[in-house]
Amino acid sequence: MFDRIPKKSWINIDRQPISVRIRHSFELLYLLVQKELRVRYKNSVLGYLWALANPFAFAVVYYFAFKVIMRVEMPNYSTFLLTGMFPWIWLTNGLVQATGSYRNNASLVKKVNLERYVLPLSNIVHEMVHFCFTLPVLGFFIYFTGGELHFSWLWQLPLVMLLQLVMVYPVALMLALANVYVHDVEYLLGIGLSLLFFLTPIVYPVTQAPSIYRYYFEWSPLAELISVWRGVLLEGQITPSPLAYCACVAATASLAAYLVYRSASPKLGELL
Amino acid sequence: MSAIIHCSGVWKRYGKSARGIKELLIGSRKIVESRYSREWALQDVNFEVKRGESFGVVGHNGTGKSTLLSLLLGTMQPDRGNIRIDGRVASLLELGAGFHPELSGRENIFLYGSILGMTLAEIRKHFDSIVAFSELESAIESPIRTYSSGMIARLGFSTIIHTPVDVLLIDEVLAVGDSHFKTKCQDFLHDFKERQGTLVIVSHELQTLEDMCTTGMCMNLGQIVKIGDIAGVIKHYGALMNSCG
Repeated sequence: MFDRIPKKSWINIDRQPISVRIRHSFELLYLLVQKELRVRYKNSVLGYLWALANPFAFAVVYYFAFKVIMRVEMPNYSTFLLTGMFPWIWLTNGLVQATGSYRNNASLVKKVNLERYVLPLSNIVHEMVHFCFTLPVLGFFIYFTGGELHFSWLWQLPLVMLLQLVMVYPVALMLALANVYVHDVEYLLGIGLSLLFFLTPIVYPVTQAPSIYRYYFEWSPLAELISVWRGVLLEGQITPSPLAYCACVAATASLAAYLVYRSASPKLGELL
Repeated sequence: MSAIIHCSGVWKRYGKSARGIKELLIGSRKIVESRYSREWALQDVNFEVKRGESFGVVGHNGTGKSTLLSLLLGTMQPDRGNIRIDGRVASLLELGAGFHPELSGRENIFLYGSILGMTLAEIRKHFDSIVAFSELESAIESPIRTYSSGMIARLGFSTIIHTPVDVLLIDEVLAVGDSHFKTKCQDFLHDFKERQGTLVIVSHELQTLEDMCTTGMCMNLGQIVKIGDIAGVIKHYGALMNSCG
C-alpha cells in the first residue's frame, strides 16, 4: 500500500499578489500594535500618559538610588545608566513577549491562515513604541544633569532604533519558533537575559571590567549596541565600527531566522 | 463548471513531538494506544469540489475531518500529495479566535478582519454591513467582554462572511445564536451559493447537510469510504454507524 504514497507534497492556495500581501502584513502589524497599546492602558486614569510617566518614575528612582543613596563616584552616572537601561528594557520586554507569541496565540495560528512572522514582530514593535516614549524622558534627564541635546539625534535615533529592531527581531522570531517545539525556551530566556544584563556594560562602564574580559566585550553584539546608543545619546555621535559590527550581526541573524522560519513555520499548526 | 478544490493523494500524519527539554534529551515518550492513534490521520484522500458546489463531510469523531479542513485552510501542510485551491479561503472553524475582550466591537472588527486577511480598505467598505448583519449597532462601542457568548459569535460570523472569499469551510458552527440569527445565517449561505461561492461543511447534523449540500463524502479512519451524491453518502454513514454499534 505504501508505494502508492506520492513522494512530494505541495499546497497551492490561490493567494493575493505579493504587493497586496506585504501591504496587508503592515496593516495587520499596525492593528496588532494598536491593540497591545490600547489594551495596556485601558481602564487606567492616566491612560496613555503612563507611557511617559512610567519611564520618568523609573528614572527618578534610579537617580535617587545611585546619586543620593549609593553616591556612585562616576560623574553623571544616572544619565549613563539610563542611556543603557532604556534600550535594554525594550530588548528584554520585546524578547520575552515575542517568545510566547505563538504559544499565547495558539488559536490564531491553528485556525486562521495568517502571515505568521507578523506575530512576534508586533511584540517587538509594540515595545519599540514604548521605547520612543522614553526618549523625551531621557532628553529631559540629559538636559537636567547638564548634558547637551543634539540636533543630529533627528536622524541618528531612528537609525539606531532600526538597527536594534533588525538585530532583535530575527532572534525573537527564532526563539518564538523554538518555544513551540520546546516550552523550556521561555524559562531559559528569563535566566539568560538576567545573566546577559550583567554581562553587558549597562550598570558599569566597560573600562571597569577586568581587562582579561576585554576581549569578550569587544565581540559581544549587545555591548556594542549599548555603546552605539551611548555614543549617540551622550555625545551625539555614531561610532562607525560598532555600528558596522552590529549591522553584520543583524544580517547574519536575519539570514538564520529566514532559514529557520521557512522550515519551521508550516509545522506550527500541528505542534501547538 | 470547473473544480475549485483539488485534493489528490493527500496523506497526513501527526508527528510525536517532544513537549519539554527533558523529553527532547531523554527522547522517549509514552505513546498511549487508542482507537484514535493510527499512523496516518489521513490516507490517500482524493476529491474535487466544483465552483458553486456545497460539499458535506461526515464521519466519526477523530476520523480526520477537522485535519482535512486545516489542510484546506492552509494552517497545516500535507505530508504527501497535493492540494490546490483556485481562490481565497476562509473558515468558520472558530468564531472570534482573534477577539480581545477589552477592545470594543468596532476595534475587534478591524483587528479580526485584518487577521482574516481583509485589507483596511475592505474592512472600512464592509464595516456598516458587518455591524448591520450582526445586529449589534447599540453595543458596538462597548468592550466585548460585556457581550454574551451569542453576541460574540454573531460578531465573529458577520466579520467572516464579509471577507471576500471563494471557499468557506464550516465546522459545526451552523448553530450560532438564536433561531432568528440562525435563519439569517442559512439565508446568507444560500445567497453565498447563488453567487457561485463554494462551501465545505463538516457536520453531524445530517438533516442540515442534506438540506445544504448536493455532494459529499463519508470518511472512516482517515480514508474516504464513500463519495458522491449527498443522500447516498448519508445512507452509507448511517450503515457505518450501525455496524460500529
